[in-house]
Amino acid sequence: MDAKTQKYDRQLRLWGSSGQEALESAHILLINASAVGCEILKNLILPGIGQFTIVDPGTVSQNDIGSNFFLDFDSLGKQRAERAYELLGELNEDVKGNWAAKDIHSILKEDPGYLAQFSTVIATDITRETAEKLAALCWVGGQDANNRNPAGKKNITFVWVKTVGLFGAARIAVPEHTIVETHPDNVADLRIDTPFPELSAFAQSFDFDTEDSLEFGHIPYVAILLNYMDKWKQTHNGKIPSTYAEKNELKANIRAGMRSVDDENFDEAISSVLRSCQPTTIPSEIKALVNDPKCEHLNAESENFWILTRALRDYVNDHTKSDGLLPLSGTIPDMKAQTDSYVTLQSIYKTKAKQDVQEVSKVVESLLSSLGLAAGSISQQEIETFCKFSAFLKVIRYRSLEEEYHQPNTKQIDPDSVFPYYVLLRASDSFYDDHGRYPGEGENWEDDVDQLHANVGTLLQSWGIANDAVSKDLTHEICRYGNGAIHNIASLIGGVVSQEIIKLSTRQYIPMNNTFLFDGARSVSAVFAV
Amino acid sequence: MVDTQTITDHERWAGVYKLLDRTSRIHPEFEPQEEIKEFIKTCKILVIGAGGLGCEILKNLALSGFGDIHVIDMDTIDVSNLNRQFLFRRADVGKPKAVTAAAFVNKRVQGVTVTPHYCKIQDKDEDFYQEFALIICGLDSIEARRWINATLVGMRDEDNPDTLKPLIDGGTEGFKGQARVILPGITSCYECSMDMLSKPTGFPLCTIANTPRLPEHCIEWASVLEWSNKHGDRKMDTDDPKDIQWLYETALARAKQYNIQGVTYSLTQGVVKNIIPAIAATNAIVAASCCNEALKIATTCAKNLDNYMMYSGNDSVYTYTFEHQRKDDCPVCSNSSTKLDFRGDKTLEEFMDYLKEKPDIQLKRPGFAVGGKPLYLQAPKQLEEALRPNLVKPLKELFSSGDEVTITDSTLPFSLQAVVTLT
Repeated sequence: MDAKTQKYDRQLRLWGSSGQEALESAHILLINASAVGCEILKNLILPGIGQFTIVDPGTVSQNDIGSNFFLDFDSLGKQRAERAYELLGELNEDVKGNWAAKDIHSILKEDPGYLAQFSTVIATDITRETAEKLAALCWVGGQDANNRNPAGKKNITFVWVKTVGLFGAARIAVPEHTIVETHPDNVADLRIDTPFPELSAFAQSFDFDTEDSLEFGHIPYVAILLNYMDKWKQTHNGKIPSTYAEKNELKANIRAGMRSVDDENFDEAISSVLRSCQPTTIPSEIKALVNDPKCEHLNAESENFWILTRALRDYVNDHTKSDGLLPLSGTIPDMKAQTDSYVTLQSIYKTKAKQDVQEVSKVVESLLSSLGLAAGSISQQEIETFCKFSAFLKVIRYRSLEEEYHQPNTKQIDPDSVFPYYVLLRASDSFYDDHGRYPGEGENWEDDVDQLHANVGTLLQSWGIANDAVSKDLTHEICRYGNGAIHNIASLIGGVVSQEIIKLSTRQYIPMNNTFLFDGARSVSAVFAV
Repeated sequence: MVDTQTITDHERWAGVYKLLDRTSRIHPEFEPQEEIKEFIKTCKILVIGAGGLGCEILKNLALSGFGDIHVIDMDTIDVSNLNRQFLFRRADVGKPKAVTAAAFVNKRVQGVTVTPHYCKIQDKDEDFYQEFALIICGLDSIEARRWINATLVGMRDEDNPDTLKPLIDGGTEGFKGQARVILPGITSCYECSMDMLSKPTGFPLCTIANTPRLPEHCIEWASVLEWSNKHGDRKMDTDDPKDIQWLYETALARAKQYNIQGVTYSLTQGVVKNIIPAIAATNAIVAASCCNEALKIATTCAKNLDNYMMYSGNDSVYTYTFEHQRKDDCPVCSNSSTKLDFRGDKTLEEFMDYLKEKPDIQLKRPGFAVGGKPLYLQAPKQLEEALRPNLVKPLKELFSSGDEVTITDSTLPFSLQAVVTLT
């Protein structure tokens, strides 16, 4: 095992070497070395992102060292960007760091294309106006084919983060995020209801009348299920059990076939009845995906994901090849069985899965050639992975900040949820627009309660929501927090955001859509697609 | 460079002090007092574990303004810790975690004192634990959690409020984790929730020996059966790459023989060391939640978690906060005995295997007694040998249905009283 594999062992067990490679190509920009910003970077530098850059025009204050672990006593009065870069950079010798003690606006004035070099832009301690401007720049970088940088990077993920006292929030915005490796709990696809010929032949190869109790107790449960399902179909016009009573009847049939209570393989079969009586179909989410316009209108710039999804559609529509089903995952769970029969069964599923991959590959190749792309430009490995997880593909399309600020998705507000804090966050921005400071920052903090609550009322009214959706006590609480930075909350939000950036950068697991809110006073959180 | 004297608590801790100086309408019980600020500076807090969670917890407590922090950990630093245990550097590999972590935080955060204890938690007595205002656990071991939980529950004297030691416990696995607050004797305790743990992963011996199907079965065969055949009494050292390499090669040879695919060095290491995937991000979330609760409990500035928060980040970000209920027959925090049903014609050994796997019991090396008379004990050796014949006897020959059986385990500081109904 090489040194890097040793160091990263505990994370490679989650996202593998392909995820690690993707992470190592990430370049993350942090705007402002706030406590939460540095916590995010800490959790990204440790697992080994490629590069980070910190942009911050400020100098280190006393409050900084009281809330930020990566600014220490010796840093007081120095450049925040430089000191945070130094103390964070120590965490991993394989990560490259950069810093600029400048304001992001002046950087952009000098170099309007500055953001194009980053995969992710994290903005903290910025006003709503700046957030909207940066988000819009990232968004264009993500969508406009003419605006790509030479590296061919397509998306810049924009992340906005804020903590206020015991409350914290994070927002992700990127036009589209596609995921193949969503890491579902179980990818087994056994096709008990519609066995392919090799599988049926396998099931029929077992002698259920055998005298040998050891052999009987080791008939794989898949063969037991197929056998009893086949008998059932013969007496039910070829249909599988569909009602609760029918499923119970099938269970009883299997139970009646047991010779002793120790036949665990029969227990396994019985406990899989309900799942196996779910007809194998294409999940509705995948049906929607293959009908997506992006599938229909492929071009040479299309992401591999969409070319593959189109191939999947064409494959599924060709019933002679696919029976109208998705490619088989080829994975089976462990089950009570003799080694030989288990290995045989495993290879039956694997062989069928391979055949399916071959058929999909053929479609991929013809699509590539019709798009004028090089043969093999989507690797066999990528096609295999895509087929294996084809029932669990995921596309997330985020709302832009502009859309949100114009009209957030807020039809109703449950006053007991975390959502009222979102309203207060937005109202605090309005308060800032009016006063040039955030509510509760000064000594006479309670004087701000009425003003902030008026901002809440105005917002709610503009969204067409009843005024009592946010209690004045909660408005008072936000004023109590006084825009203060509390390390625990910075660290918690920093943890969540870094986890999301890892998911987005590795294109594995499913990131949240689109705003995470945490209420540290009640220790509750929620995600809203505002 | 700024002079030490110009640092003021008021500016440095501005965020926390706003919470402590100001009243709350959502938590009207809170009364701001200067003494609270003094209390967090001077009260003693114990952190158990200086690993992934521990490093985060130490940082968080220091930056919450806690001034007197102790940390206890028996481990030394391994290279695979460096992807998340951010108080350690490559040059620290091999050094004690507690000592290294304490030194780092003491240097980084001015005014805090972190005191390391490089030892097992079991090496400390009740007098030691009695000194702390609260205890935060960042452990990866169920055994250690059960031990500290039972110890703290046992220390509580209802007539003396100082003996109540709030226990805040965090745990993570991959993108998931949980944080909980245990008020010994008041809320549900760690033992009350043992059944929430997944069944310990183990494969039946007959599968490993006769019908291997998975790469894991081959690895278990190499480590459980073949190791002692080839190495006699020499104990396996799972931290020694040579031993892992031997296990890997042995497992691989068996896998080839049976046509089983998927034995790798990494999987071998994962199985024999029972490795749990771990990343900095999840540790940060869970540790921050624990320390947020610590600050709330120590200052009463907001209601503390009552009493469990689950976190999952695999699919979106999801937390679930709920009150875990006390278990009526908890062997640690209740006075009533556990009720068990078991077939009378099964042997004591089968009963023992059942208890080892039962999620809410999970014993390692149990001993049994009825009415003060031992049925089986793991030690001393002579007694073990004398009682060993009982293992193959059916339960109905050893005691009567409804008898109270005392079950002990050297890894636990309490015994389990079980009324066993023989069926």
